[in-house]
Amino acid sequence: MSAIEKFHDILANRHQYAMDWKERTGGKVVGGLCTYVPLEIVYAAGMLPVRVLGTHEVQDVTDRYLFPTVCPFCRDTLAQGLKGRYDYLDGLAMGRTCSHIQGTFDNWRNYISTTLVYYIWFPCHRESPRAVDCLVGEYTGFKEALEKLTGKPITDDGLDKAIELYNTNRRLMKQVYELRKNEDPPITGAEAMEMVVTSQLMDVVEHNKLLEELLEELPDRKLDRETGLRLMMIGSEMDDIEFVQMMEELGCTIVIDEHCSGSRFFWDEVVPGEDRLAAIASRYVHRWPCPAVSSNFSDRFDRVLKIAQDWNVQGALVYQQKFCDPHEFDIPLLQQMFKEHDIPTLVLEFDVTIPFGQFRTRIEAFLEMAELEVL
Amino acid sequence: MTTEYFRWTEYAWKNPDKDWQKADTLVAGIDVGSVSSQAVVLADDEIYCYSNARTGSNSPDSAKNALGMALKDTDIKQENLQFVVGTGYGRVNIPMSNKAITEIACHARGANYMGGPTIRTILDMGGQDLKGIHCDERGKVTQFLMNDKCAAGTGRGMEVMAELLQVPIVDVGQMSLDVEEEPPPVSSTCVIFAKSEAIGLLRKGWTKNMVLAAYCSAMAHRVVGLLERIGIEKDFTITGGISKNIGVTSRILKELKVDSVPLKPDPQIAGALGASVFARDLLLKSRK
Repeated sequence: MSAIEKFHDILANRHQYAMDWKERTGGKVVGGLCTYVPLEIVYAAGMLPVRVLGTHEVQDVTDRYLFPTVCPFCRDTLAQGLKGRYDYLDGLAMGRTCSHIQGTFDNWRNYISTTLVYYIWFPCHRESPRAVDCLVGEYTGFKEALEKLTGKPITDDGLDKAIELYNTNRRLMKQVYELRKNEDPPITGAEAMEMVVTSQLMDVVEHNKLLEELLEELPDRKLDRETGLRLMMIGSEMDDIEFVQMMEELGCTIVIDEHCSGSRFFWDEVVPGEDRLAAIASRYVHRWPCPAVSSNFSDRFDRVLKIAQDWNVQGALVYQQKFCDPHEFDIPLLQQMFKEHDIPTLVLEFDVTIPFGQFRTRIEAFLEMAELEVL
Repeated sequence: MTTEYFRWTEYAWKNPDKDWQKADTLVAGIDVGSVSSQAVVLADDEIYCYSNARTGSNSPDSAKNALGMALKDTDIKQENLQFVVGTGYGRVNIPMSNKAITEIACHARGANYMGGPTIRTILDMGGQDLKGIHCDERGKVTQFLMNDKCAAGTGRGMEVMAELLQVPIVDVGQMSLDVEEEPPPVSSTCVIFAKSEAIGLLRKGWTKNMVLAAYCSAMAHRVVGLLERIGIEKDFTITGGISKNIGVTSRILKELKVDSVPLKPDPQIAGALGASVFARDLLLKSRK
């Protein structure tokens, strides 16, 4: 089985993977909401951090708990908890991002039985020089809570090892992303997304091993398809593999992305330092930000434009989860920026389930705008 | 039999002055929409015949039906068609088509054919979708915007209203203009909400005309919102079934303060016509 098939397989059986991991290692599993939970600290405690994700199925179990105007991703994740699909979790942690996912968290704390439920504040003013200190305080409390749960201390050695493993993970995924710069990328956008999403669900040692296998396979891999238009995906949470597959079947390839199940999640490494928690906190404060924690547009937009140009994109799909205001505020500015650089954009709004037929029409029309030049 | 107020008459047209056998190219475009389907046959670069039919429960049959209607009074057989392009919501399920192209590209191309190279903005008001489209002088799409998945303010919503008020759908537009004073619009174009609101208004003693006026103006207002997001560049024109509802179109134009270019012979065939123009281009290209 190739590494790509293994990622696909593990993603399809992610709950089984986590339960097997528990049995194999005797360790505990901590669920994380959003990507601001410091994975290094969880892993150093001997636990498996897994990101809590939805399934894109129709559901009505959250209607009593969350307003229908809460973003579909947050409703979908809460639904998974309410349906008991995460009953194997020993803890749930959230690193503050937005008020919608906080709704998921609050309802989880109140109505779903999980041994430890921990909320990590994140400095509202990320740009402040005191932001890292502020976050170190939060991490100290989180570390103590994890130590209490396992009954074992988290050591500096453990943190160093975890930092090294996650940095390796980030570096290897970046190497895979580098190959997507090729004229004919050896990996599709859907496959790359499976790789990143599994990195949020798997033991980092095992994920690194698969990444090494993948990097051996990719140079000789030839895809039996046309690359077509080179596109970038930008927006809020996105793990709808089926949608990306549908899109790529219409004659394009996602060659780069900017969202929290893609580059934004893994791009930045921890710079090791004497104070381990400060080193980790610095990474999360200065990482490629989610717009929910950042009021500084230019910082993020410069990075977006740079990868768009470095990966030679010919168009950008800007999407948002319905009601995700932080991302929606970005859209007019993003469109304007891309327009100034002659990169056409298509904007789509996602719900728990999406109207495949109508989205297909929009994507095809978008691709035709480039393709029909020949007629 | 109970009257079906939503139902409009299907029709076909044939060019009396053209001999298709003398044409170098004979191609067709078929647009299977969510409510109606059209077929257009192009002999060289002229419309030879076309039809407008109701979409049935499956796309292949709807396509066959529309093409059959268009060809009915001609001696063209399906195998005489040298290239067929399918478009519309059912475009991937049109058995006789050689290629599928989206209705967005086809509407722009069809509007360009009928309205000329000065058309820059097209509003397509269909059975299930609203689209604002910008195109260049060749009818190539440069930008577009579509409504979301809800059917508010579309042909399907208008059908529901016609049924509720028991007014033949073709009369809705004129009747809505036949009011002494323009009533305030209904507060929602959501088909379900608007329907309950209309029932409330009737109970309050509003006439059918006033309720229709309130609904048409709400629909127009919603469309204007969509168009303002994409921006209006002149010349402007309207395609799709609702383009024939003067109650909606006149209110849109009034609110936007622009004129629309009338499309001859029929604004509802823009999609199928655009598809047939693409079919001709593709055929000529394949001969090179």
